[in-house]
Amino acid sequence: MKNRQRKRELTAIAFILPNFLGFICLTLLPVCFSFVLSFCEWNSSNPMKFVGIDNYVGMINDETFRISMKNTIIYVLGTVPTTLFLSLGLALLLNCKIKGRVFFRSIAFFPYVASLVAVAVVWNNALFHPDMGPVNSLLSALGVTDPPRWAASTTWALPTVIGLAIWKSMGYYMVVYLAGLQSVPQELYEAARIDGAGAWKRFVNITWPMITPTTFFVSIMLTIGAFKVFDTIYITTQGGPGRATNVLVYYIYKSAFVSFKFGYASAVAVVLFLIVLLITIFQFRTEKKFVSYL
Amino acid sequence: MKRKVFSYLLIAAMVSSLFAGCGSKADTPDTSAASEETQVEEVKEEETATEDSVEDVTIRVSLWDYSSTQYYKDQIAAFEKAYPHIKVDVAEAPAGDYEDMIITKMAGRENYDVVFTKGLPSLSALISMNYVQPLDDYIANDADFDKSAYSNLTDQMQMNGKTYGVPYRKDNILLYYNKDLFDAAGVDYPQDGMTMDDYYELAKKMTSGSGNEKIYGAHLHTWASCVFLFPRRVGQFDPWGTDKSALKPYYETFLKMQDEGLIMDYGTLKASNTHYSGVFYNKQVAMMEMGTWFINMLVENADFNWGVCSVPNVDGVGNTCAVGGVTPVMIGAYAEHPDEAWEFIKFVTGEEGAKILASNGILPGYSCDAVDEIFDALPGAPENLSDYLSADTFYVDTPLNPNGKEADSIISEEHDLIMTKSISVDDGLKEMEERVNAVIE
Repeated sequence: MKNRQRKRELTAIAFILPNFLGFICLTLLPVCFSFVLSFCEWNSSNPMKFVGIDNYVGMINDETFRISMKNTIIYVLGTVPTTLFLSLGLALLLNCKIKGRVFFRSIAFFPYVASLVAVAVVWNNALFHPDMGPVNSLLSALGVTDPPRWAASTTWALPTVIGLAIWKSMGYYMVVYLAGLQSVPQELYEAARIDGAGAWKRFVNITWPMITPTTFFVSIMLTIGAFKVFDTIYITTQGGPGRATNVLVYYIYKSAFVSFKFGYASAVAVVLFLIVLLITIFQFRTEKKFVSYL
Repeated sequence: MKRKVFSYLLIAAMVSSLFAGCGSKADTPDTSAASEETQVEEVKEEETATEDSVEDVTIRVSLWDYSSTQYYKDQIAAFEKAYPHIKVDVAEAPAGDYEDMIITKMAGRENYDVVFTKGLPSLSALISMNYVQPLDDYIANDADFDKSAYSNLTDQMQMNGKTYGVPYRKDNILLYYNKDLFDAAGVDYPQDGMTMDDYYELAKKMTSGSGNEKIYGAHLHTWASCVFLFPRRVGQFDPWGTDKSALKPYYETFLKMQDEGLIMDYGTLKASNTHYSGVFYNKQVAMMEMGTWFINMLVENADFNWGVCSVPNVDGVGNTCAVGGVTPVMIGAYAEHPDEAWEFIKFVTGEEGAKILASNGILPGYSCDAVDEIFDALPGAPENLSDYLSADTFYVDTPLNPNGKEADSIISEEHDLIMTKSISVDDGLKEMEERVNAVIE
């Protein structure tokens, strides 16, 4: 009996091992290395010099770090709740029995599939072009005398990027929500209907509680994704104008690969890791309070 | 039992395959290539042994866009013909990835004999990481090498008193103008030695029309250097210096021009990634400041007459000094054949190499009459073009500095803020000063 158990374990390990070894070599070791590096000064060629917590102390007086942190927080607050509610709304709409449902679902999912580079060009060079874009033409037609200059202005650049990010990822989370909605038992709705509950009551008392596991998953994925944002910034604004859209990961990239301060970049990365870790722990702690598993 | 053996085997197979995958990628092709090379060399040695006893050597040269650039191929072919015992093995990367590639490769102690970089900021990085060798001994002891043919540029490739690079290409910043637009407006062509006020007035005269028909008097591209090279050319600005006040009159002029619609809006150009060439080709702008690399682009694309003159500045200094970027070429730190690498560098940066570059419309670091003649003979080129290719006083756009890249990105950020009017000129320059000083120390 015991032998058999061991055999089963071995088989399991055999299947897990390749992936796990890859994880150790390509993720875990670099992460540990980065942690060690955060206490050193290193430009990738000179011998590593241990500097204690200098890199962390340096962050306190680093204005660019503060700006990047502020922008990251605005980006997270701007994207996470909006994407969550908009994708839920889309899912609710496209879960109804309407004509052309599959067509509309495809349209909503399309931005997620499209290449970010192409989407960014359409967004900034066409739609939101400060002088010739249809958005500003529409605003002018509606009587707005001085429409925002979007990605070209320090005030509006971050909201423009946030808008792009929401639009791009909405379709994906809509699909996740659709799956959640399909799993809600129909008999609950039937029972509620018989009791005379309206659409809003049914949503608040049945749909919302039943899809809380999905909401929990979506909120965690969105939060982690938003803290990690890099590609959208790199492609659209490169952190500009000035430092208006400089976020933490973009700052890490620039510190490491433009200024060759790998130690400092690692320290910022460790701080980012701790923030994401704390928030995720907090989310898991509150899971019991608002997530109901039937 | 069988199953147990199977699982052990499976584990072993997967682990070994994984490590095989992990194995250094560079090693495998290198050894095979090396063994092939030695075989080839052996064969050749046998062949040539009777004629002369010079050993065949293969030097490794790191370049970008080699496959798609004809002049590299022409130069290497000419070099191999002139030095039959030296073979050239090119390692290339796409231009966009090149700088990251070379840093990563050198960190892995790649034995490149000759290393090209795209400009001085990346040369600074390579020097501060000790990835390139000083060339002073070669320069001092080689009678064939004429330093004076490179203006004073070789001296500007020094850090800590040592010279690390030889200028392969250089680019002088010029003011290009569309002669047809000036003729149509009945306005005199721009002249050498204009002041910023002259430039503003001229741009104002040349601005006309509206909407799609609008012609802008001048064009200011979005790089920060497009502004700071104006005072840099006349020696009044050091990008890493502590004082940035020299930029003030230039920013004020350009902001005024932007407000009055004499140049396109900076924020729009930046947000829409508008390339400078398109607006000039489409005859939307009458004058534009750009590097000499634009000559070749105009020869190939312009369907109008164009001219050049020196860029304006506050004091009206004419065509006596020049400013621009340099493409340097160096010997790698882990070179196995540094002497042969030097021969290669001397060849491609010397007169022979320069003529090949010039006939492709590229301005070489080396100046000589032959180069001037080739440029003057380019189809559609203005007759006085060669007067503007070089100058006795030639400033590199950004001097070598270990923290140059970081300071450069700070200057760009503040330039962004000033040009989008997110900050006043004074505050922007003050911030630029403080932040650059903090980085340069």
